[in-house]
Amino acid sequence: MRLPRIFRTTPFRLTLVFLALFAGAASAFLAYIYLATAGEVTRRADARVSREMGSLEAVYRQSGANGLNQAIIERGSADQSFLYLLMDKTGAPISGTIGRSPVAHFDGDRDWASFDLAIRQAGGTTASRPARGLEERLAGGELIFVGADVGEAESYVVRILRAVWGAGALVIVLGLAGGVAVSRDVNRSISGLTGVIDAVRRGDMGARARVRGARDEYDDLALGLNDMLERLERSIGGLRHAGDAIAHDLRSPLTRLRARLEAAMIEAEAGRADPKAALRHALEDADGVLRTFTAVLAIARLEAAGDAPGQVLFDPGILARDMAELYQPLCEDKNLDFEAEISSGLRVRGNAEFIAQALANILDNAVKYTPAGGAVVLRVRRRASGDIEIAVTDTGPGVPPADRARVVERFVRLDSSRNEPGAGLGLSLVAAVARAHRGHLELDEGPGEVDGSGPGLRVALVLRGS
Amino acid sequence: MRLLIVEDDLEACQAMIKVMAEAGHQCDCAPDGIAGLTAASAERFDVLIVDRMLPRMDGVSMVERLRKEGDQTPVLFLSALGEINDRVTGLKAGGDDYLVKPYAFAELIARVEALARRRETGSVQTVLRVGDLEMDLIGREVRRGGREIDLQPREFQLLEYLMRNAGQSVTRTMLLEKVWEYHFDPQTNVIDVHISRLRSKIDKGFERPMLLTVRGAGYRLEA
Repeated sequence: MRLPRIFRTTPFRLTLVFLALFAGAASAFLAYIYLATAGEVTRRADARVSREMGSLEAVYRQSGANGLNQAIIERGSADQSFLYLLMDKTGAPISGTIGRSPVAHFDGDRDWASFDLAIRQAGGTTASRPARGLEERLAGGELIFVGADVGEAESYVVRILRAVWGAGALVIVLGLAGGVAVSRDVNRSISGLTGVIDAVRRGDMGARARVRGARDEYDDLALGLNDMLERLERSIGGLRHAGDAIAHDLRSPLTRLRARLEAAMIEAEAGRADPKAALRHALEDADGVLRTFTAVLAIARLEAAGDAPGQVLFDPGILARDMAELYQPLCEDKNLDFEAEISSGLRVRGNAEFIAQALANILDNAVKYTPAGGAVVLRVRRRASGDIEIAVTDTGPGVPPADRARVVERFVRLDSSRNEPGAGLGLSLVAAVARAHRGHLELDEGPGEVDGSGPGLRVALVLRGS
Repeated sequence: MRLLIVEDDLEACQAMIKVMAEAGHQCDCAPDGIAGLTAASAERFDVLIVDRMLPRMDGVSMVERLRKEGDQTPVLFLSALGEINDRVTGLKAGGDDYLVKPYAFAELIARVEALARRRETGSVQTVLRVGDLEMDLIGREVRRGGREIDLQPREFQLLEYLMRNAGQSVTRTMLLEKVWEYHFDPQTNVIDVHISRLRSKIDKGFERPMLLTVRGAGYRLEA
């Protein structure tokens, strides 16, 4: 038989374990108390009986069997707390408050006995009460028995024990009820979470756990689960998007490559073109496709990853100085004024390789689009907000405000740049790098129209400072 | 040179063998990690070209095992995995260089030859000599034909790399990787500009140019 669900929960099982432990300890404790008290009750009764016996022996020594007989009759009628019986040498009763000695097989001089005393009660029924007694042979050969009723004291102990057992039972009942209540509560909290997990397993990536606002460990669990699902959903979405994007992005350059090869083959067959030149073109095209593929894949993986992998704390100023050193000769060759203004002691957490690549892309663009005689300025500084800005300003034609959001998208190339090499992925990668560092990319106007060129472009990679 | 190619793509392997033979190198081929390990342990090769993803035993484990056995043959990893972390694990496992697929054969040949060369010049040198060009690595001085040439620190590094690989082609990517330590493809000819500056310093005023451009590959420093 399967137990109801609630009895199979961990909190309920824990309740049972603790109840069992508690009951075990309490029973051991009670047993000890009972043994100690019950023993004490018997000891006290024995002491009283011994004292009474001593006093009766004194009477016997003083006034013989007759005197003792007299005393027993007197005491028996006056004092109800003892039982007396005087017997002759053969054990036949002479006088006393009971008719027969409770000591079954008396031999020797003294013998203790525990026995039950039948007491006639008001309603005619008899009740049985525990008693203790001592039988002795007197100097003249007569036998005397003195007993005491210990029922009063013993029943007191029994009452206490009964009360404690009752309390114990109450504790167990309350404990079980508490266990059920706690299990219910835990169960409710957990079943919310398992419900979410089941929903996700069925394919509903949008399921989220309810946060009760109690700020307890269940809320922590729910928040953690929600955060994990959020990230999973984002990266799955990113991957799906990346797959679509790669398929889309590669189709056009591959189509172009194929068209060119086919055209070349037709021309070569007609003997109108040099097959070697066609092969060289095809190779260049293939390289272009592969470069595009690499770039698209890098962007897609960055987008899917959420946060850039391998982030460390580093100085972006040092990175920018290295990059400036790499690009300065190129600018000078193109007759561009190159300047770097780099603050020192900056710190940023990120993947230095990705950030270097992003900066290289920005600088590549600046060098490509700025006409000779212009200027390129690399600036790295900390903003008042604490963010780190890596900005490149050029004096090229810039990007009209309406197109600024668009040029960040993949493969978007403005008509003005159609005759420059490149696949239109540079800024998309920069934007992906910015996002992967929880920063952003800013596009602004440069210094404005100067000597017929301009207005220029300012591209800033803004990262959160550390 | 004798090369061992550990690669499960048979067609890629055959193309590689053809191109390497063209460049004057003889290649053996192993189709999986276990076969690669057996072949590499049995014979002496100048360079191992190992694909990272292989059947039976992946490339990284194979090279780790090889290194544990004390084999120090230079290893070039080929991989479709180009992320930074992938490259780092490859190099940590004992790889000496890492080339991301797809690659140009010129790049592959240049890197393989650079690896083999590095093995030959195992001893620590303080002075590099190529023809009448002389580099003092301790004094940080460069002379050609006795005439002192003043170089910027980066130009010095660039020339040092070219001199260590004198007589062999080095690609732009190799220069960007080994001299600048960047792992990306610039869209502009940044490297060419640096080379032409270096060239103007070491070749200007001399009858015979040493720093040559290799079409479709990169550059070569010739004695």
